[in-house]
Amino acid sequence: MTPAPAGIRLGVLPPLALYVHIPWCVRKCPYCDFNSHQVRGDVPERAYVEALVSDLELALPDVWGRRVTSIFFGGGTPSLFSAAAIETLISAFRARLSLAADCEITLEANPGTFEAEKFRGYREAGVNRLSIGIQSFEPKHLKALGRIHDDREARRAIEIARDSFDNVNLDLMYALPEQTLAEARADAEAALAAGTAHLSFYHLTLEPNTLFYRHPPALPDEDAAAAMQDAIGAALAARGYAHYETSAWAKPGRECRHNLNYWRFGDYLGIGAGAHGKLSFPDRVARTARWKQPREYLQRVAEGRPVQEIREVGRDDLVFEFMMNALRLSDGFPVGSFVERTGLQIAVAEKPLREAEARGLIARDHERIRPTDLGQRFLNDLLELFLPDAKRA
Amino acid sequence: MQHIRNFSIIAHIDHGKSTLADRFIQRCGGLSEREMSEQVLDSMDLERERGITIKAQTAALQYTSRDGKTYNLNLIDTPGHVDFSYEVSRSLAACEGALLVVDASQGVEAQTVANCYTAIEQGVEVVPVLNKIDLPSANPERAIQEIEDVIGIKASDALLVSAKTGEGVEDVLEAVIRRMPPPKGDPDAPLKALIIDSWFDNYVGVIMLVRLVDGIIRPKDKLLLMSTQAIHLCEQVGVFTPKSQAREQLSAGEVGFVTAGVRELQHARVGDTITLVNRPATAPLPGFKEIKPQVFAGLYPVEASQYEALRDALEKLKLNDASLHYEPETSQALGFGFRCGFLGLLHMDIVQERLEREYDMALVTTAPTVVYEIQLRDGTVTRIENPAKMPDPSKIDEIREPIIETIIFVPQEYVGAIMTLCTQKRGVQKNMQYHGRQVMLTYEMPLNEVVMDFFDKLKSASRGYASLDYEFKEYRAADVVKLDILINGERVDALSLMVHRENATYRGRDLVSRMRELIPRQMFDVAVQAAIGSHVIARETVKALRKNVLAKCYGGDVSRKRKLLEKQKAGKKRMKQVGTVEIPQEAFLAILQVESK
Repeated sequence: MTPAPAGIRLGVLPPLALYVHIPWCVRKCPYCDFNSHQVRGDVPERAYVEALVSDLELALPDVWGRRVTSIFFGGGTPSLFSAAAIETLISAFRARLSLAADCEITLEANPGTFEAEKFRGYREAGVNRLSIGIQSFEPKHLKALGRIHDDREARRAIEIARDSFDNVNLDLMYALPEQTLAEARADAEAALAAGTAHLSFYHLTLEPNTLFYRHPPALPDEDAAAAMQDAIGAALAARGYAHYETSAWAKPGRECRHNLNYWRFGDYLGIGAGAHGKLSFPDRVARTARWKQPREYLQRVAEGRPVQEIREVGRDDLVFEFMMNALRLSDGFPVGSFVERTGLQIAVAEKPLREAEARGLIARDHERIRPTDLGQRFLNDLLELFLPDAKRA
Repeated sequence: MQHIRNFSIIAHIDHGKSTLADRFIQRCGGLSEREMSEQVLDSMDLERERGITIKAQTAALQYTSRDGKTYNLNLIDTPGHVDFSYEVSRSLAACEGALLVVDASQGVEAQTVANCYTAIEQGVEVVPVLNKIDLPSANPERAIQEIEDVIGIKASDALLVSAKTGEGVEDVLEAVIRRMPPPKGDPDAPLKALIIDSWFDNYVGVIMLVRLVDGIIRPKDKLLLMSTQAIHLCEQVGVFTPKSQAREQLSAGEVGFVTAGVRELQHARVGDTITLVNRPATAPLPGFKEIKPQVFAGLYPVEASQYEALRDALEKLKLNDASLHYEPETSQALGFGFRCGFLGLLHMDIVQERLEREYDMALVTTAPTVVYEIQLRDGTVTRIENPAKMPDPSKIDEIREPIIETIIFVPQEYVGAIMTLCTQKRGVQKNMQYHGRQVMLTYEMPLNEVVMDFFDKLKSASRGYASLDYEFKEYRAADVVKLDILINGERVDALSLMVHRENATYRGRDLVSRMRELIPRQMFDVAVQAAIGSHVIARETVKALRKNVLAKCYGGDVSRKRKLLEKQKAGKKRMKQVGTVEIPQEAFLAILQVESK
């Protein structure tokens, strides 16, 4: 069922980012529910690169003339792809899109796929930011998480990354199977010792359709997990990292622009298998999803129809989706950006906003709305207030 | 009239009353083999399942005796449970004789004794029958001894039967004729008919089951119901065989049904006397009582939108259950619902179950409570059916609670446990008698203690062997207090209950710790307190959750996280919000299990 058109009018279109999905991994991790597939034999790198370019070309009419502020190669494990493949892609993007002069280009990489040579190649291809899936520095936890790397390889990967890149993020997780508070602290210290510009710490959650969901490991309880988060937050803050989003910390000015764009309800074109996109037009906001299975995706691109689903975001959903993103930011959002991104007046959200304020979940003045400390810790309860009531299709 | 016998069967649940009645009907050809579904007298499914008879029904049987004469035997069925003792007394008032059916292996039970005493008080001829003699465990000698000991009637000539195999059934029918007297009464005297039972039929309205004491009743007679002074035109009279069969008239000594266009059950009250407008009786038959509900509870739909449906369902139940009372009630915690009055706990159970089963209602029931008499300082007396409505203590001079007298039958080995239980429940022992292996205990006990969980306790303390009967005795001054439950300082009306001051602290603590387990952790600490007036006697804290956040919102796919939030929201919908605290339904039920460990 298609929701009723929102009947909105956008004065200006938001910034546009490009997301590129590389759907393969050396091995599927038991906690991961991303669209990733274990490599069997060779990755069809060349065919996939060609498909991505075709995919982009087919999408060009939707983003015509718009400047791209960031590119993100996500996965899967994009670092499975050769530097040449990444270079081909970035060149193709430059040729077809107008990239901002300071365009942030991030590539996700996993230890175990690191070779110094390849990473210099990525740098030369134009990648200027690296996001490394470390997860933990503790061997037994890496093992429990089914990672292909150990702590030594993790440190080595960081070294290689630091040789070529000054803008590096480390992804870590806490509340791991049988993890203690001391171990979580040690992971934070190890991550801090690497001195990267950006750190992400995610609470490990059991997602449906994962091995962990079907066979849950023994995880620390809610209170222990919260204590870990507090300890990690304190350690990072003490070293000058600002906690700017639920799971993200950065040194001043080194926030991830690509992710900030998601959270500010900016636009993104998503290409590649299973990639999601959000695009604004003067009279509507639409969400898109590409075909998910790599083989099917390749086939569909060849037929000129890589998009599986386009959905116009209805009025109520616009409010909810905006809040779901913007309230993740510690600074919240300027009221004006709500109007600009959704084409709606802030008054449409007055009821839940008032309720949230009454419950101490947000603080607001005439120009900014931000989650309070309580609102950040109970983001789910805060967001729930903005969920549209009506049953959806 | 010499060929009429009106009789009923007194028996404990499961001692075989219904099976025996079925045999009588079969023997006398009241129903064909095909129509003879088992235990026809218990017509409602629910009754059949529980093995109890809720509404008295009856069968007029044609029996050709061994002496060659044909007799009209009117079997008047009686409800078999403690909550319906008034109905039992009216059924017995319509009889000259009663069969006391005792399971030959189980012996006498409390219920049987109470009903038997009622029969004897009313001058009904009691004929003992030992049933289930086909069972290897049957011990007729011991059962006879018990009947003589406990009830005090001669039982050496008790009839031995097996209703299941049919053995001895005809001897019972012969004994009904020979040992029970025929009715007395004057067909020419002014009409006096006792209403034994009444129920609602969608086509003809209220059907009254009556016993004619004097006079004759015919269609087109102008009938006067003496307690309400209502006048109705008699439409039809007849008997049940147990199928209904119209007759031209019913006359003194007979039992049958009358319809008279009565639309509401309350107008044809059990125990009332019917007479003729043109030639009225000078006085009604004795024994009429207006029965009042003894136990009250709030019934609330789980979904607020089901309120109207609940009202409709109660209205329909009420059509056939004059003793069910209900009126709208609003609870700050549970929203809109009904305060319902019941004869007792079983009655409440049955109503609840029928609402759930037949009307598909999902219900939250508050703790049952008795009716308190409150003597106010200004001299007025008020009756309180809901603890939340209790007046301010400063205005109360005295609170009086209903006291019951209860008879408990229990095998010797459990006597100690039962006595301890009764003492815990503030019971005062009045009597204790040993009858062979059985002990009969008589206690006076506050009804309030019984409505909570006494039956369950009694059963578990005696491995199911104890049986009990009780009747209301009197209102008595009591040191009871209202125990309130406060959630984050807010009084939750639906959780208030009345307790004896001595037990208040214990119950408060118990309840509060149970609530702590049931209330999920939330954004803030939730204080659960038990208080008497402004005095807090117990407190527990549901520690705040420290966070509730989605770790990652990745890849731009919002739909999955959204589903998670929707699930969370749906979960909260099933809870009742009290102030800012979400309380699950189970917490409201926890109060019913106070003290269970």
